[in-house]
Amino acid sequence: MAEIVIDGKSYSFEGKPKLLDFILSKDKEVPFFCYHPSMSAPANCRMCMVKVGQYVKNRDTGEYELDEHGERQIRWFPKLQTSCNMDMMDDMIVHTHETDNLVKRAHKDTLEMILINHPLDCPICDQAGECPLQIQTYKYGPEGSRFEVKKQHKPKHVQLGPRVTLDAERCINCTRCTRFTDEISQSHQLTITRRGDKNHPTTAPGTVFDDPYSMNTIDLCPVGALTSTDFRFKARVWEMNQTPGLDITNGKGVNVDLWTRDNLVLRITPRHNPHVNDYWMTDKGRDAIQLYNENRLSTPSLRLHPKDKDLVMTSWDNTLQTIQEIVESTDSKQILSLGSPYASVEENAAWAHFSQTILKQKPSYTAHVEKGAGDGFLLVDDQAPNTAGCDLLGLKKRTKAALKKAVSESQVIFSLHDDYIERGWITKEDLKGKTWIYFGTNLTQIANAATLTVPITCAAEHTASYINVDQRIQRTYPAKETKYTNRRLDLEMSEGRLDRFGTKFDHWVNEDNKIDCKPLWEIVSDLFSLWGQTITYRHGRDVLESLNQTITALDGITYQAMDDHRGVLLSTSEPQEAST
Amino acid sequence: MAKKGSKNTATNPPTSYSFTKEQLKEIEALKAKYPEVQAVTLPVLWIAQDSFGHVNPDVQALVAKTLDLPESHVHGVAEFYTQYFKEPKGKHVLDVCTCLSCGLSGGVDIVRHLEKKLGINVGETTADGQFTLQEAECLGACGYAPMMQITNDVYVNHLTPEKVDKVLDQLISGSTPDFESIAMPLVDSTHTTKRGGSNE
Repeated sequence: MAEIVIDGKSYSFEGKPKLLDFILSKDKEVPFFCYHPSMSAPANCRMCMVKVGQYVKNRDTGEYELDEHGERQIRWFPKLQTSCNMDMMDDMIVHTHETDNLVKRAHKDTLEMILINHPLDCPICDQAGECPLQIQTYKYGPEGSRFEVKKQHKPKHVQLGPRVTLDAERCINCTRCTRFTDEISQSHQLTITRRGDKNHPTTAPGTVFDDPYSMNTIDLCPVGALTSTDFRFKARVWEMNQTPGLDITNGKGVNVDLWTRDNLVLRITPRHNPHVNDYWMTDKGRDAIQLYNENRLSTPSLRLHPKDKDLVMTSWDNTLQTIQEIVESTDSKQILSLGSPYASVEENAAWAHFSQTILKQKPSYTAHVEKGAGDGFLLVDDQAPNTAGCDLLGLKKRTKAALKKAVSESQVIFSLHDDYIERGWITKEDLKGKTWIYFGTNLTQIANAATLTVPITCAAEHTASYINVDQRIQRTYPAKETKYTNRRLDLEMSEGRLDRFGTKFDHWVNEDNKIDCKPLWEIVSDLFSLWGQTITYRHGRDVLESLNQTITALDGITYQAMDDHRGVLLSTSEPQEAST
Repeated sequence: MAKKGSKNTATNPPTSYSFTKEQLKEIEALKAKYPEVQAVTLPVLWIAQDSFGHVNPDVQALVAKTLDLPESHVHGVAEFYTQYFKEPKGKHVLDVCTCLSCGLSGGVDIVRHLEKKLGINVGETTADGQFTLQEAECLGACGYAPMMQITNDVYVNHLTPEKVDKVLDQLISGSTPDFESIAMPLVDSTHTTKRGGSNE
């Protein structure tokens, strides 16, 4: 076991960890810009300087050499070292800025150097508030600049690709973005051009930065040089709430953070999970903001007459009673009940419970797999977030032809959150003369063609779990309020400064954008009570708890366990995965 | 030399570039010299520049394709070095040093003289495509200031307007200025003895 002394405290370690990594893992701080734990360390920002030395040993005896005070002699490296690419060795002694003024001075001078040509536009910069350069300048930087000459001007608002905008003046040339395209996404689309104070990242001439993972460079960028073309100038970081969530645009189950303000999801960024997506996510996953914000089903709607073009809004009571009338006046063989891989485990389970009890049938579902859509990284063939969940609940999988046949043979169809028309599996014509009751989140083609639409909460509005293609069960948190939830009362919801201190009477806060929708398990509970049954699911947790008893793979799976282990890998023999 | 203009250079650049068989053979031989293909980028860019006169984005793409490297990598390398011409230049590129030593000993005057003589501004190419005039940062020949480099090759030292005119005539006639061996003033050995003394 090797030993190292950092700031007078000794630590033991094994192998050859990098010094910076090790210091950070001990909850100490060393400032850095270019280092990233998942990429190579070129040590070009020169920020993570530490003073390193080694105890001197007598070559013959192997004893430590002592000075006149009886202390071990230290042979310091001739210059300060960058800790990010420094291999740790036995008997190493390290001074960080906490104990060494030279290191402090080095940080200050490096920052002064980095800031020579950096524009002072923090007040209008998107990165402000989450900017390592800003934070570290406050902590370690010089008090002012000694440079009175004009700053170097470089290209601004360059559209590098469809989703990424570059402001070259802000760039500090850490090369994280170019290393990302070289090492992680391997599209090799970015490079650093020119040199000295004129250098900045760019694409090869005539090429576009259209990497399917391009927006990760925005999160990586330690300054505001790479910004999101969509999100630019939309909101300040401190005005938003950050809520953990899941990417529901494909089956990988990428962990994300939803950033909301005024009940709109403004941006989606990846959340670190070494078991699923590391630090990255797809650009496609970030488009889910449209699913959450736009074109939502709000308030149940009913087509009064089959020939009516539009649906009219109706009340929740009327909706439930209409459903009861339809079910009671139809032979259960004429009813088709469909689950959905786009809906969570809890939603499918609650629906299956209702379906089996009242409709006398187990729901079936159709998987949405596009062969060849995957790339072996974060894009997978499975387009739905919860196909494995449907399988686990024992829902029968239907093929395209089987779905079409089942639809044509039934009179009343209950379907869950899945647009078969847009997928091209059935057409509008197939819905003619049918009573189609659609539980969904968005005004999709099938919602337009349905007889009754019942708005349900989306992944940004409820707590529910999804099982990804690798059998990992992970859960979402409510990030947006609905008409029936309250951020201050629901202790699961995060509260930002504006939520806490803003009121609807000031111009900071907007009470709009709340959708009139309910979680499916609540609707199911209400339906049960119409049939005189007291089965109440108030929360996704209630559904999950009932599943704990009925499905062995889910035995002992709780939201707490998913939080503790960053999702739990399900397996029939070994339900609990070892902790990270 | 009449009209100026950097854009409309004399020779029309070929629309598509390709390496000859001999060049490809040379490139293969170079590849064997280095452990990684990336390292061959520099010599291959030289081959390209020698044969096309420049390495514009099309040539960079050709180099990338030939070496099976990302275009962005070749672009980054070509952009880093000022010696690679990213756009077509004149037949002779005159890099006149105007850095500190040369600037103090008349380098700027030489530039002005050349501008007048060639009828172009710094950074431009003569209409007949013979000369491109550029200012250069220190080329490491401060001892022979003022000086200039001709097309990434020979240095011409101790410049005077007369010498510049002679060099231009030489270049037009097709010969290159000869290499001038300039002896550095050696330190007197007796001097050293006096100062150091301990050797003897």
